[in-house]
Amino acid sequence: MEILKVENMRFTYPDCTAPALEDISFSVSRGEFTVLCGATGSGKSTLLRMLKRELTPLGERAGGVYFKGQPLNELSERISASAIGFVMQKPEQQIVTDKVWHELAFGLENLGVPKSDIARRVAEMASYFGIGPWYDRDVAELSGGQKQLLNLAAVLVMQPELLILDEPTAQLDPIAAADFIATLKRLNQDFGITIIIAEHRLEDVIPTGDRLMVMEKGHLIADGRPEQVIAGLRGRRDILCGMPSAARLFTELGAEGSCPLTVREGREFIESSYLNNIRSLPAKEKSAPSEPALEFKEIYFRYTRDSKDILKGLDLRINRGELFCILGGNGSGKTTSLKAAAGLIKPYSGIIKVFGKKLKEYKNRSLYRNCLAMLPQDVQTVFLKNSVREELEECGADPEKLPYDISGLLDMHPYDLSGGEQQLAALAKVLAADPELLLLDEPTKGLDAASKMKMISVLENLKQEGMTIVAVTHDVEFAAMCADRCAMFFDGQIVSAGTPDNFFSENSFYTTAASRMTRGYYDNAVTVEAIAELCRRNGGKDERNKE
Amino acid sequence: MRSFSEYNPVVITVYIFSVTGIAMFCNYPLLIGMTFLGGLLYYIVRNGRSHWRSHIFFFMLFIVLAAANPLVSHNGVTILFVMNDNPVTLEALLYGINSAAMIVGVLYWFRNFTQIMTSEKLLYVTGALSPKLSLVLSMSLRFVPMFHRQSENVSDAQKAMGLFKEDNVIDDVRGKMRIFSIIITWALENGIITADSMAARGFGTGKRSHFTNFRFRRGDIIFLLTDLALLGICVAAIAGHFLELDFYPKIKGSEIGAEAIAGAAAYGLLVLLPVIIETEASLRWRYLKSKI
Repeated sequence: MEILKVENMRFTYPDCTAPALEDISFSVSRGEFTVLCGATGSGKSTLLRMLKRELTPLGERAGGVYFKGQPLNELSERISASAIGFVMQKPEQQIVTDKVWHELAFGLENLGVPKSDIARRVAEMASYFGIGPWYDRDVAELSGGQKQLLNLAAVLVMQPELLILDEPTAQLDPIAAADFIATLKRLNQDFGITIIIAEHRLEDVIPTGDRLMVMEKGHLIADGRPEQVIAGLRGRRDILCGMPSAARLFTELGAEGSCPLTVREGREFIESSYLNNIRSLPAKEKSAPSEPALEFKEIYFRYTRDSKDILKGLDLRINRGELFCILGGNGSGKTTSLKAAAGLIKPYSGIIKVFGKKLKEYKNRSLYRNCLAMLPQDVQTVFLKNSVREELEECGADPEKLPYDISGLLDMHPYDLSGGEQQLAALAKVLAADPELLLLDEPTKGLDAASKMKMISVLENLKQEGMTIVAVTHDVEFAAMCADRCAMFFDGQIVSAGTPDNFFSENSFYTTAASRMTRGYYDNAVTVEAIAELCRRNGGKDERNKE
Repeated sequence: MRSFSEYNPVVITVYIFSVTGIAMFCNYPLLIGMTFLGGLLYYIVRNGRSHWRSHIFFFMLFIVLAAANPLVSHNGVTILFVMNDNPVTLEALLYGINSAAMIVGVLYWFRNFTQIMTSEKLLYVTGALSPKLSLVLSMSLRFVPMFHRQSENVSDAQKAMGLFKEDNVIDDVRGKMRIFSIIITWALENGIITADSMAARGFGTGKRSHFTNFRFRRGDIIFLLTDLALLGICVAAIAGHFLELDFYPKIKGSEIGAEAIAGAAAYGLLVLLPVIIETEASLRWRYLKSKI
């Protein structure tokens, strides 16, 4: 049965000449799990907002949206609020009240549901989501993943039939994101809730979905079952770079047949189609370790006198000219170690040296002049002015001298930029201090695949110029593609370190999808590109049969 | 078997205002003394021997307040001594001690009250008055710490980028001002998302209801009735001028009759209610625990 229908939608924002959405028609049946993807600025968010009356942006619109056969703007206020649920990108900002239980009850309070009913529905929802243990906590104490789960639960407590999610996992770490997607899948399968989700991080969500819609410049350019859509997009590298590794490998090799989506399917595809006589690519030449840029020696740190240690005897040496990635779970101390290196917090024991000089010896903030700079996780904290141009003038940066081009963004307000553009603008500001050591905290958080590739090329350019870069990240694919060395942070110290090829092929769980696909079949292949190269060199099984 | 702090917040609020209301509108030294001792006793029962610093603060305050009155006011007939050509009288001194005991006693009660009334309970009480007011309070309780955290993050970010170029005060202040202005922008930006999230969940579609985790139990009702009955007796005794005392020009109290005794006894019991409940709960709990 059809639950939602969109007919010939066209939408133009005020003061814009080009329409943000044009000629969009589709219908969604009850219980479908639809994934919507497309580059930043392709109109995904606008389209999703058109489907929820309360959030519809102002502008010139044509065409109709029908919910269960009824035009959207003829629904009663209560039905419109409760039957269509909407979860947005930023976990923190969506929360309204100060307590978890109050947030869960908020929607029902708005509808004037009697107290006893609220109690039952909130209790039900808290049990289903396992919120029980933190039910009476302050929302400020929750982790990002918990906050987003709370947002989802607070919407579901109103018993929606259609759930719309706009990049809900963009701000979460990969493990919390995978949990979140698994929860959505469970809701879809257990309760038949219809789901429409826009995402950048497609590795987990595409195999979960029944249907994939791709948007480009306000148009719907593909719509259908995920494997068909991906096969049909062959040659569109800019769109494919965000797809699951298995699918990327499939299109990279130009293979025929049904497109694999999951790691398991990808593995079957490789093993059934390609030989493995050559098991690994020749190892890259290792450069000899040069002088150290950043050294941690037996670092211990805790936030307050009676709390537990966050850094427990951290020992680490990062060489000059290296791009070093620190990986690890939430709360393992990654960000704390970066803050310690930047001198923002003081360890109670141990020595940190930057370019052979103790941190203490950098008097009068000289550390931050032509030496070290840090880009924090929340890049919004970097901006102070009303336009990018003013930002750059403030710190004396010359947009001409940057290794990348942001001239198109100069007159925008920094808060109006997309995630990727914000990263680049913030990086420009940080680079103005002309640092030799650059510390990055989650540089790929919330970026779509194309912006991520851009980020990688920018970092590689900087490295070419001799800069030492240390990045703390959750993003294993990013680390595998650009790092010289990776290290795993656990429980306040480094437990393993090595080149990405060794590091990721030795890890069996905390590793890239590409490495998981080829474990035991090829050695040291951790990126899709490496596997594709190996497959080509080995040749297909069919070809040999033909001979 | 609940401790006093676990009673329904409305009941607790009514109770605190009955105790402090009597103390503030009647200056009869016996009642003031009861307020003071009751507040102190309950504070000690709740906090044990810790918090001695706050006791010192209250003690100093008491001394200052008690000494201030005889130095300023020279009413009264019994002159103790003359200082700088000004007489210091016994009546003024006693009046000062009485007022100081009242103020410090009420402060102890409010200290107890703020310890018991978490934000959640305050919201419940305000929600009973107006659900909208309660929502505004709840949002601000969340917003203020968030604002603070964000400004610290911005400050750290700017520091690590070398915004505070020189190590001097003027530069620091200038940096702080810039941070403040962007934080306002950030807060407005945030406000839009929060407003969207509220609208998406039906805010403003009709009359709001108010969900709480608190219930009125039998114990709450009994406590409330006891509180009101004791308050009634005491108020009756005060209104009938049975508990009155004039300090000036000469100390002169009303005659002590059955009404005065009943009023004072009622207030004494009222003041001790939390301690009684607390003791009963801990004894009962010890007994029940011995059976586990």
